[in-house]
Amino acid sequence: MNDLTLMWKNLFRKKTRAILLLISIMIAFFIYAALFTMNGALNAGVQSAKANRLVTVNSINFTVSLPFAYYNRVKSVEGVVDAAHASWFGGYYKEPVNQFQTFATDPEAYLNVYPELITSPEERAAFINTRDCLAVGRELATMNQISLGDRIPVMSNIFSKQDGSRSWEFEVCAIMDYEPETGRDVPANFALMHYDYYNEALAFNRDMLGWIVILTEDVSVNDAVSRTIDEMFANSPYETETSTEAAFGEAFLSQLGNIGLMLSLVVGAAFVTILMIVGTTMVLAINERIKEIAVFKTLGFPAPRIFRMVMGESLLLCFFGGFLGIAAAQGAITLINPVMKNVLGELSISWDAMGYGALLMLGLSLITGLLPAFSAMNVRIVTAFGKH
Amino acid sequence: MRQTLAVTALNIKSIPQRLGMSLATVMSVALVVAVMLGFMALTNGFAATLNNAGSEDVAIILRAGSQAELNSGLSRDDVVLIETAPGIVRDAEDRPVSSAELYVVVDGIKRSSQTEANLPLRGVEEGAERLRQGFTLVEGRMFAPGAAELIVGEGVGREFQGFDVGSTIRLGSNVWTIVGKFSTGGTVFDSELWTEAGVLQNLYQRGASYQSVRVKLDGPEGLSQLQDYAENEPRLSLDIITEKQYFADQAVGMTRLISAGVALAYIMAIGALAGAWNTMYSSVDARVHEIATLRAIGFSGGSAFIGTMLESLMLAAIGGLVGAIAVYVIFDGMSASTLGGGFTQVVFSLSLTPSSIISGMILAIFVGLFGGLVPSIRAATVPLLQVHR
Amino acid sequence: MNLYTLRDLSKRYSRGGEAVTIFEGLNMQIAQGDFIAIMGPSGSGKTTLLNMLGGIDRPSSGTIECQGERIDNLSEARLSKWRAAHVGFIFQFYNLMPTLNAAQNVELPLLLTKLSPKQRKEHIATALDIVGISDRAKHYPRQLSGGQQQRVAIARAIVSDPKVLLCDEPTGDLDRVSADSVLEMLQLLNSKLNKTIIMVTHDPAAAKYARRELRLDKGRFIEQESAQ
Repeated sequence: MNDLTLMWKNLFRKKTRAILLLISIMIAFFIYAALFTMNGALNAGVQSAKANRLVTVNSINFTVSLPFAYYNRVKSVEGVVDAAHASWFGGYYKEPVNQFQTFATDPEAYLNVYPELITSPEERAAFINTRDCLAVGRELATMNQISLGDRIPVMSNIFSKQDGSRSWEFEVCAIMDYEPETGRDVPANFALMHYDYYNEALAFNRDMLGWIVILTEDVSVNDAVSRTIDEMFANSPYETETSTEAAFGEAFLSQLGNIGLMLSLVVGAAFVTILMIVGTTMVLAINERIKEIAVFKTLGFPAPRIFRMVMGESLLLCFFGGFLGIAAAQGAITLINPVMKNVLGELSISWDAMGYGALLMLGLSLITGLLPAFSAMNVRIVTAFGKH
Repeated sequence: MRQTLAVTALNIKSIPQRLGMSLATVMSVALVVAVMLGFMALTNGFAATLNNAGSEDVAIILRAGSQAELNSGLSRDDVVLIETAPGIVRDAEDRPVSSAELYVVVDGIKRSSQTEANLPLRGVEEGAERLRQGFTLVEGRMFAPGAAELIVGEGVGREFQGFDVGSTIRLGSNVWTIVGKFSTGGTVFDSELWTEAGVLQNLYQRGASYQSVRVKLDGPEGLSQLQDYAENEPRLSLDIITEKQYFADQAVGMTRLISAGVALAYIMAIGALAGAWNTMYSSVDARVHEIATLRAIGFSGGSAFIGTMLESLMLAAIGGLVGAIAVYVIFDGMSASTLGGGFTQVVFSLSLTPSSIISGMILAIFVGLFGGLVPSIRAATVPLLQVHR
Repeated sequence: MNLYTLRDLSKRYSRGGEAVTIFEGLNMQIAQGDFIAIMGPSGSGKTTLLNMLGGIDRPSSGTIECQGERIDNLSEARLSKWRAAHVGFIFQFYNLMPTLNAAQNVELPLLLTKLSPKQRKEHIATALDIVGISDRAKHYPRQLSGGQQQRVAIARAIVSDPKVLLCDEPTGDLDRVSADSVLEMLQLLNSKLNKTIIMVTHDPAAAKYARRELRLDKGRFIEQESAQ
């Protein structure tokens, strides 16, 4: 027997109570871990952004297109290492409800500015050299049961061809993956097509592009490059706005609303709840044990050791419940992964979530344990025995 | 009955002895209900904004297969053909009540986050006002034909900065003067900027293209007459639905997303249930002797059960009320905005409806009921011998 | 040889703003190996005296020496150590930990020593053997009778081999038969293991087991020779 055994036995002295406390702590941490992971998945685009990657869009709004001629002018700006243009195709596959996110681009340039997008060298070459090739992201291909070599039509809900048709025929000649990052697997849920193949057939909006992605020499020249580009097109009918990929992603996310605040409020509410439940119960539990604590003191247990034993109970409770909750969240995430992975990618609880979770557990045990631990430490033996 | 009342009174009188735990229970139920009602207020507010916008007697006409105004494209010729169609209300001068429209997504700066967000700058024709129920100019005047002037919806003024009447704003390379502010009574149109369609086509290189035509339908048969006409006209390839249907379709995705929040509240409720159970357990624990004494002098087990149960239900109900009041005071009427189906911001007001308050209270009562169940059974079955301890 | 020397000991406290004096100018010596029964009416200060001898209460003035060391002015931390090393307590209501079994209850004082788990086991076995309750080692307090619980409490008091046993109404909650066997055990601990025992009791029959009886009344001792 040691102090840990004593703490454990004290904690589970009233089994129902201990289990109820564990459940409420577990639920708070379940919510915390699940929302933290969800938020991480939503921000994946921002987090995977490269610091030296910039995006140039129309200053009216990123949905408004720019003249194709801008592409070459942007490429020649000093500090730009490489650039790719992309246009929104508004694709769907088979059914209008089945969105098939497709961009029209210059394949080689696009794969250069997104080095994390990988395919085999053969497929890469095929994509670059075949005009009607469609490079499909792994998750998008899986979702639509498309495999290499398939010939498929993709329809646009925006554009039509000169012949009135809205369907472009493709051969799937490359499957793309995102290089897995540490702890996160971003889903490749889009497809790429040749800009020429798209542009030549267009009935309207020809020789326009959606946006330009730029790789700069170094983060330090980002500001200068942005300024040069935007000034170059100032006062033309198509003014531009250039920002870092991360800033662009963040601005887009914030259009959905203040998700961060919403999630914080929910997690906050969950924690205030357990803070009160656990806190008041710990105070009660120690009050019930004043006499036992007096016996410990009489036997010669020093005050700091009693403090540690009571504090230890809180720590044990919060860490045990907390990790159970995080484990339950991991379980739930594993369950929804097959359904959600094409949208959000393969999710798992990150080390960050664990780390902050452990800090929360520590904080929770300190707040709920300090008061009872102090009052236990300061129990006056004679007074305690006086209460028969 | 008298027994039960007496036991309940004893229970309630002893609450101050467990003030901390009782308060914790009340607060935890309050927080659970608040989370649930908060999400419901978001959903209701958003849905109301879209649903109120959609009128049953207005049809929205898009190019076939485009699904949303933003993707659609109609030529001047299409519009002319549509305006001659049957099923459309005509005014005194025999002109159709219609508006061919297009919009460009422009950036506005959100007050709350100081980030750019999409706003629809809609070009409309004369009929537009008559096609939006409750359209009123609340400030300034209407834009003048041919001028780079615009009027802004009330919601835009609330959530975005730089749209005060009288000021100018630069959108791309064009400078616009804001000459008026309009309201449609809190519908999705209040999140828009309006100007004349021709001006917009000119300034943003849209030629003579439009995205949609809205028409006032002539009676309940209007829609099918219009659809039949379009079907039999080889030069037209259109989707025609009522505006109500159009917005209802758009609301689905968002509503589903926010509903996930209500599910979170249910999970939290399990935590609060554990808390309530714990409190009631302590309540019974602290009064084992007293309950045994009452039982010994002839009180029934049933009265002990009900007494404890009522205490639990009371704490939970107070918690539910506190949660509902907090949401009402803090969130009801609060303005928020999110990206809607048109890929532009929809400004809406959170709204706490009576039916969501009822759902919140039901959840609270459930927490009280199940949290109090086992402790109540325990109270009812306290061994009489405990009286001697 | 004297174990305890009490000089000019006073204890006062205030109850409802009124100063109450329990005893004043008390002088006393307790020899090593003695077995004293302290008797006296309720409120005569018996338990207070015992608490001060055990280092869980302090005199208002005067000194207490134990084996030549003053304990009345030790810090709380030093007192804890001193208690762990020198005294064993036996209470009227046993004060066993309900969450621990008999052996674990006996082990508690050993957690304050540097003994290895194996040595601890041996000490526990010896202590339980002495009080004759080895067969109940795995039982929890609620599974034991009052007499058995008090034996476990005695085992806990002697397991770290202290010189002094302080007993506060050790038989106050027991029937005659159990009480007698507990008292016989104390006698045995005194005579065979040379423990100094100071016992507070109401019960004249219990007091008869001691070597001498002290009657505390109005803060003064009236010595009476024991029957032995």
